Amino acid sequence: MTGIGGWPVGRLSLLAGPRGSGKRTLAQRSVAAASRESPVAYVDFPNRLDPEFLNYFDARLDRVLVVRPSSLKAGMASVRVLARAGVELICIDLPRTRSAGLDGELPHLLHRAAEADCTLLLIHDAEADDAIRYYASMILAFQRNAWVFRRDGDLEGMLVDATVVKNRLAPPGLKRRLVIPYPIP
Amino acid sequence: MICCVRTPHPSLVAAWLTAPALRGCSLVIGGFAHERALVTTASAEARAHGVLDGMSLNQAQQFSPDAIFQPVDEEATARVRQSLLSTLHHFTPDVAAGEDPGCAFLRLDRLALRWPDRSQLLAAISRAVEAVIGVTPTIGVASSIFVSKVAADHATIGVPAIVEPEKTRAYLARYPIDVLPLDDDLREYLELLGLRTIGRLQTISRPAFRRQFGVKALDVHDLAHGNERRRWRSWRPPVRIEASEPLEPPVDNTEALQFIARALAERVSASLLAHGLGTRAVRITLTQESASPLPIEVSFAYPMTTAGELFDGIRPRLLRASIVAPLERITLRAGRLEAAYVRQPGLLIRRDGFRESIADAVARLQEEYGPSLIQRAEVRPDAAPLVDHRILWKPA
Repeated sequence: MTGIGGWPVGRLSLLAGPRGSGKRTLAQRSVAAASRESPVAYVDFPNRLDPEFLNYFDARLDRVLVVRPSSLKAGMASVRVLARAGVELICIDLPRTRSAGLDGELPHLLHRAAEADCTLLLIHDAEADDAIRYYASMILAFQRNAWVFRRDGDLEGMLVDATVVKNRLAPPGLKRRLVIPYPIP
Repeated sequence: MICCVRTPHPSLVAAWLTAPALRGCSLVIGGFAHERALVTTASAEARAHGVLDGMSLNQAQQFSPDAIFQPVDEEATARVRQSLLSTLHHFTPDVAAGEDPGCAFLRLDRLALRWPDRSQLLAAISRAVEAVIGVTPTIGVASSIFVSKVAADHATIGVPAIVEPEKTRAYLARYPIDVLPLDDDLREYLELLGLRTIGRLQTISRPAFRRQFGVKALDVHDLAHGNERRRWRSWRPPVRIEASEPLEPPVDNTEALQFIARALAERVSASLLAHGLGTRAVRITLTQESASPLPIEVSFAYPMTTAGELFDGIRPRLLRASIVAPLERITLRAGRLEAAYVRQPGLLIRRDGFRESIADAVARLQEEYGPSLIQRAEVRPDAAPLVDHRILWKPA
């Protein structure tokens, strides 16, 4: 769907969409998959990461560094330092409120990521700022479409429309309908 | 040819240098008489009473009741050993430290032009060592490390024992097998077979010795013939890398301090690069105007070389330092020097190679922002029905 067989390495990808549209689920699945190969970090500003959910996708939790910063400055410093230290994938779950100072941090962040070949995923609930849209190499917009039910009537998952709004590495505009299954308790 | 310079144990020499009155006394080094410890070394007078290295101090006191007991002064001992090796390093860079702390070895081959007369060279070495540590060494010269050490062990002070290569076998033949590095089993086995001298051992052919005692024992057979396969490991004098800057007028704000620390980190980094070294610990000393100096230790997970890496480690510690008075001087000293860490392109190595650097980065971030900043989660599915109880968060 991304046209390059995965997330762009050394660049920033933005997952945008309203709450409950599946962007955090997709990001966490990516983190789980990446943790099986190499160390990853999850910068959890809103404290919404569910390790049980990662565990459900067979994540190596000992390789997942969960950063819970108290300020944007601490969070961004963590991303810069961890990227330089060799963490391959960093997922940044931004707070819902508009983060002052993020515009200034982004160029430094991208410079570090490009230098260290670190993949950055940015999750943003709110309408993304122009700066984020500008610096992102790929923007995936999510929209919830419908619920998916099993034959016995139980809820199985969610149908989501994902659109590549922006892509600097391949032609943009691709649309896919994704089924996001819910974990079976 | 290899020259072995043998002195008494450095801890004994250190004790003599600290208290010259102890020379000629029965002196036992290792601890005080009432302590449960072993004898590290003893003076010749104590040995005459039967004190041996490795025996308990209590036993040593029974053998020599009038002996003076002293603990080992580790720092002074290290200084003595360092002085001995540095002195020999002035003659030639081909110096090796022996496993026995009182032994040092030199290769004499390259000194033939500078010192055509070998006896003059050996006399000069002896004088130089005596001038530095106050003890005249015994000297042995032979074709290998082992034979030169045996020669030095049996030489008298002032008369070097020189074993010419063609006479090595005959020289060793008269000594008991105890001079060889034997394990207890092999020694017992040889003694049971009546092989008590190296000469008797030399009569056995190499294949026969191998058949009887195994491949591992061949080293002993080779040594008995004067052949040594041990690699020469050159000793290098310690490198001291330090940068210091007086602060005029005294500095009382962290911005200026960081600026100067950065400049010093660049100077230390340049010295490290020049030596091809990396440091795993930096000691910062902040000299305060009207208070005692403030030492700060910064450790790194792997050897650091560049100024940026050094400063990244130093900066948070400087910001958190409890400075109570304006600073007059700042000193950066690189410690725990190792070969510089070589970074390879990421394409050629797995990123797991960065595990140490990630651990170091996590430690630095936690130091700056608190241990709860970066955490790891552990899920215990059967621990409790409540989610909060099933997930265990712990600092990474």
